Amino acid sequence: MKGQIKSIVTLVCICTVVAVLLAVTNMITAPIIEANQNAAANEALLEVMPEGKNFQKVDVSGYTLPSTVSEVYKEQGGGYVIRLTTTGYASGMTLMVGVRADGTVSGAVCLSSGETLGHEKTFGQNFVGKDAAGVDAVDTVSGATLTTGAYRAAVKDALNTATILGGGSVDLRTEEEILADNLDAALPSADGEFTKLFIVEVIEGIDAIDAIYTANNETGAVCVVGEQFIGVGANGAVISECDEATKANVESVMAVVRATVVEDVDISAFEGIHQNVISVKKTQSGNYIIDIKAAGYGINGGDKYHAATGEYTYIRVSVTAGGKIIDCLTLAHGETENIGGVCAKEEFYGQFDGKTEADYENVDAISGATITTDGYKTAIGRVFETVKILEGGAENEE
Amino acid sequence: MKNNGNLSVMLKGLIKENPVFVLILGTCPTLATTTNVEGAFGMGIAALVVLVCSNILISLLRKVIPDSVRIPCYIVIIAAFVTIVQMLVQAFFPSLYDMLGVYLPLITVNCIILGRAELFASKNPITKSALDGLGMGAGFTLALCAMAVIREVFGNASFAGIAIPFLEPYKIAILVKAPGGMLVYGMLIALVYVITRGKAPKKTSFSCEGCPSAGNCHTGACLEKGGEQ
Repeated sequence: MKGQIKSIVTLVCICTVVAVLLAVTNMITAPIIEANQNAAANEALLEVMPEGKNFQKVDVSGYTLPSTVSEVYKEQGGGYVIRLTTTGYASGMTLMVGVRADGTVSGAVCLSSGETLGHEKTFGQNFVGKDAAGVDAVDTVSGATLTTGAYRAAVKDALNTATILGGGSVDLRTEEEILADNLDAALPSADGEFTKLFIVEVIEGIDAIDAIYTANNETGAVCVVGEQFIGVGANGAVISECDEATKANVESVMAVVRATVVEDVDISAFEGIHQNVISVKKTQSGNYIIDIKAAGYGINGGDKYHAATGEYTYIRVSVTAGGKIIDCLTLAHGETENIGGVCAKEEFYGQFDGKTEADYENVDAISGATITTDGYKTAIGRVFETVKILEGGAENEE
Repeated sequence: MKNNGNLSVMLKGLIKENPVFVLILGTCPTLATTTNVEGAFGMGIAALVVLVCSNILISLLRKVIPDSVRIPCYIVIIAAFVTIVQMLVQAFFPSLYDMLGVYLPLITVNCIILGRAELFASKNPITKSALDGLGMGAGFTLALCAMAVIREVFGNASFAGIAIPFLEPYKIAILVKAPGGMLVYGMLIALVYVITRGKAPKKTSFSCEGCPSAGNCHTGACLEKGGEQ
């Protein structure tokens, strides 16, 4: 009995001492082991933030972050490493961006991409040490605008994420969302349903107005003047606060817009109008609104159109009787998004505003989509021909 | 005479009673961790540290630990040192830790360590036990390194991770595989037998007299022989 108790006591004592020894050792080694393991697991993190220590994954479920953000790691010194997935030219591009506590980029690398030119591999170096304004100022690479533009946007997203996680607030709305919000604020009665007005008249004072959006439910319109969004009621009166000069201008422009009457023109009555002209309308002041289709990328049966979808690009042009373009708009296209599809962006078709037959060819082509651009310009040229025929002028040269 | 005795306690572990090649203990880590020199050396040193520490502690407690619970006590002590070593290696030599993998915690059940605890440390004073641990640990390390050098140099044409280009076309791939390990192991056992011929304990029989630890054994047959004591 005595022997048994002694055995138990001895074993318990040894175990206790051993447990204490182990606890002490663990206390010393645990932080080192953890740091080692973090270092190994976070090699990619260290690549974009070499000075980073003790990366911890952050639970971001409670934050509204840019949609490109997939993972966020916080570093001991207050910096963040953010993993983002964005689309470049071809497919998903995974980036790792380090943001220091002071809001500058510590590094950016592309982990994977489906890009063809390889700019994504080195482009990240341009952002090192830059803050938000510096990131905006980084130029995209010509010939890889989409890849590098998406890269830049993702780096900006990473900076915004760091700001948000650091307790700041960032306007994450896209340009479209900001526009929609502003329009809604200027004219709540429209219920957020607006259509950009296609200008068909030469209107005095319209140059001061950047854009006009009409309410789909015909309760009025919103004029964009610089940063201002000026609501105009159904009766043509300005309802938003603005200075007198702007108010007078907006009201006079809107009066012309509201007074515009458009009637159809029967193009079958005219000879020589190109088959691609779809329809022609005429305003009471004699301007024409011509819908025309343009050949896109690809060749079929002697006419060029998009090889994959077989679709033309549909264009609406308003033009004065004298042959000067008032407004131009791409209605639809069958081009590859991001290449020929750029023809549907205002920065492209807006170039034709104010152009005449003499200078419309000078419009900048879409990089990488020469055929689309050529087709577009050919269509615009046919618009001028159509106007001449409608006005009973010169013979069709073709 | 006493010093001489102590020295011989230590030196016998190197060749004469080499735990791997003569006592044929710790075969598993010997085969598993000798594919490269770094791993083998690390394993040997880790085992040496555990062996010396556990031998000292067990020798210290040899009069306290009751006979009936001695094995659990030894295992707890050995396991504690192994865990401490494991934590230290993981903290300060992470690459070695990755290389040794599961064989590091398995030092706990290494026959050499438990064998020395049971056969030597539990019956000898602290100094001798420490020296025995040191000798046996050095012998284990030496054996591992000898095997690892042969296997890495001729099997992988490299030494401690540094490539030996002129051996590259002649490397014998089987040496880094388990069968190659067995072959090298067998040849080294034979070599050590040749070297120690006449000095090593005779292994003509597997009875108690043939046991290299007969001198420390407390069974009647061995005590009669007296052994080295």
